[in-house]
Amino acid sequence: MRKKTLFRGSIAVSTAAILAAGVLGTPARAADPVTITIWTFGDVIQRQLVQEYKNLHPEISLQIKKSDLDPLNGTNMVTACTSKTGPDIVAVEVQYSGYWRSYPKCFTDLRKMKTSEANVAAGVPAGKTALDFKKNYLPWRWEQGVGYDDSVIGFPTDVGGLEVAYRVDLFKKAGLPTERGAVGKLWPTWDKFIETGVKYNKKLSAADKKAGKGFIDNAGTIYAAIMNQGTEKYYKNDGTDAGKLIYETNPQVKKAWDTTIKATELGIGTRIGQYTSDWNIGMNKGTFATILAPAWMMDYIKQQAPDTTGKWDIAALPGGGGNQGGTQLTVPSYAKNSQEAYDFITWYLAPEQQLKVFKVYGLFPAASVLYDDAALLDYKDPFFNNAPVGKIYAAGVSKVKPIFEGKLQRAIDQAIGAGLGRVAAKKMTAKKSWDQVLADIKKVITN
Amino acid sequence: MSHLKDKERRRKAPLTPWKSANPKKAAKSKKPSEGVASLDHRFGIPFIAPFFVIFLIFGLAPVIYSIYISFYKWDPLGGSTFNGVQNFVTLWGDSDFWLAIRNTFSIWALSTFPQMAMAIGLAVILRSKRLRGASFWRTIFLVPNITSVIAITIVFGQLFGRDFGIINGILGLFGIDNIDFIEGVVPSHIQIAAMITWRWVGYNTLIFLASMLAIPDELYESASVDGATKWQQFIYVTLPQLKNTITFVLVVGTIGGLQVFAEPQQLAADGGSSKQFLTLTLFLYNQAFVNNKYGYAAAIGIAITVIVLIISVINFLITRRISNDGSGR
Repeated sequence: MRKKTLFRGSIAVSTAAILAAGVLGTPARAADPVTITIWTFGDVIQRQLVQEYKNLHPEISLQIKKSDLDPLNGTNMVTACTSKTGPDIVAVEVQYSGYWRSYPKCFTDLRKMKTSEANVAAGVPAGKTALDFKKNYLPWRWEQGVGYDDSVIGFPTDVGGLEVAYRVDLFKKAGLPTERGAVGKLWPTWDKFIETGVKYNKKLSAADKKAGKGFIDNAGTIYAAIMNQGTEKYYKNDGTDAGKLIYETNPQVKKAWDTTIKATELGIGTRIGQYTSDWNIGMNKGTFATILAPAWMMDYIKQQAPDTTGKWDIAALPGGGGNQGGTQLTVPSYAKNSQEAYDFITWYLAPEQQLKVFKVYGLFPAASVLYDDAALLDYKDPFFNNAPVGKIYAAGVSKVKPIFEGKLQRAIDQAIGAGLGRVAAKKMTAKKSWDQVLADIKKVITN
Repeated sequence: MSHLKDKERRRKAPLTPWKSANPKKAAKSKKPSEGVASLDHRFGIPFIAPFFVIFLIFGLAPVIYSIYISFYKWDPLGGSTFNGVQNFVTLWGDSDFWLAIRNTFSIWALSTFPQMAMAIGLAVILRSKRLRGASFWRTIFLVPNITSVIAITIVFGQLFGRDFGIINGILGLFGIDNIDFIEGVVPSHIQIAAMITWRWVGYNTLIFLASMLAIPDELYESASVDGATKWQQFIYVTLPQLKNTITFVLVVGTIGGLQVFAEPQQLAADGGSSKQFLTLTLFLYNQAFVNNKYGYAAAIGIAITVIVLIISVINFLITRRISNDGSGR
């Protein structure tokens, strides 16, 4: 019995000791550094710049969590906003911009934020709201980060731009011109592009054909390229939050679908899906001679096919001017460190930083003040046969017209993408597949 | 010999574990079960409470909540309105739902039956006394089971690649054209079934092995005295003795088969261009977390529950019949 009491006593003493240690330990931890949490995908947040920001602000640490785009801009953000928690910064891709612009309550209105003194030395003036920075950016890219109640929910990071990346060596082999200006002249229109593809495929040997070689990696990518050359997609801006659905009547949709089907049925594509292992291998093996490449894809090609350096070049997109992708950095309304987050965004997306990101990773800046900057225009990429990629993408991006992205655009895009896939896999006729697309879209938008 | 020993042990075994565990105490107490029962009351509840509390919060409450929201048009951001049984009516008329049922059962059949045959075959090999390093083999058979599904999908995606995949490469040697293991309905099911099989075959092998080791050697001895070949021994001795285990593996496999999610989701999040490998759980997930139709997704959840109930009843009937057969033998 006695033994037991002693034992208990010793527990009490040690507990007290632990408690005391805890209390004494607290003051040391009081100067906790601020941790900015960032939810992002792909290459939106670049390691090199993060390191630079850490050097500027040793007291701030950036905790970056990468996810796939769809769960990130879908479930994760819905959950965060519903449960009134979340990170300090979230990257929202343009395909989801229509959806999130209709829920401005989920974001901090950046018109009401003011930059602090933190980055004055690094070139970001203090006391500025989002509206003060607006003039730096491409207007239609800025609009994609404006809520339907006019609040500013995000700053644009990059603009996709869209041009044609082509293999100089394979073009030469097929007897096509190889100089980028002449190549661009081959296809002023999409029909000419398809014609060129047919011509290219005719020059392929029987063995090449058997190995599944073709002109373009995936003919289905033509669809999005044409859609982004218009001004309307599936919604008409009628002043309401969601917009009016016009996917059945919009001639742009019909044109994009029909052209893509034509390219598919003429077999100019290899039917390899993008971002599959086959795609990466095909890029190295010269299975396809062209890719419709947004600026951000240049880095992907470099990473996946390092041995093809110098064999690629960039030519203008048929139809003139194209865009695909782009992201806004937003501050959710329940961010704990919204001031630090806003300071980071205004620094990270300032033109100076966007130029650095472009040079290293090829993300084309949304900061339009750079578009007549010699540093951007003179930039040449040796991997792409010393093409003046800055100049090419700047010219293309300037031709892009603003587009109204509706609320459920991503879901509708996916239904149409599946429809094109069915035709490519020869599982359905184009007509039947389109009917299926309409039925699928109806399911998404109703109920 | 071992059979006899086994019988002896059984005869010696005490009727209740309590008596043997503490014979002196059991002798003192006039009603041994009473002491145990009172112990139950005093200490049992706190011991089991954590499970029930967690089950209430994370098990029962969400179930009740999803039944509730299945009667609503429910968008977490856009608000919700009462919808009556409309979700269920829509579900009944939704071709995707029936497609998902077809896909789920097709993948289930393609993964369960070949897997079972392979597991039994492997178990026979593992049981063989001539096999060296038995425990090593048993261990590595379990490794696939603890591998992440995502990793498996990436590797299998490369094996099954349409243009440069190894499997199509090998088939090409026999003059077979490249098969599209994603666009094709049956090929895509085969790919998913292969992933499931690879992951679970080792686990089931061990279960079969355990029950094979329990088959008395005498049965084989007397069978070989009667002139049965190894194959006949397998058919007439091993398989009948495994009947209950086969039922067990089938039941567990069915439960798992109805939950196939990560493999098709990793192949293509929408279940393929013609939804050729959209499974029931993937269908539910996409409705809730992609299309933000939580009420509709809850209705799908209830439908899956009903399907599981039906299958459980069928399983129960079959199991009862088998065990009746056993007693009548």
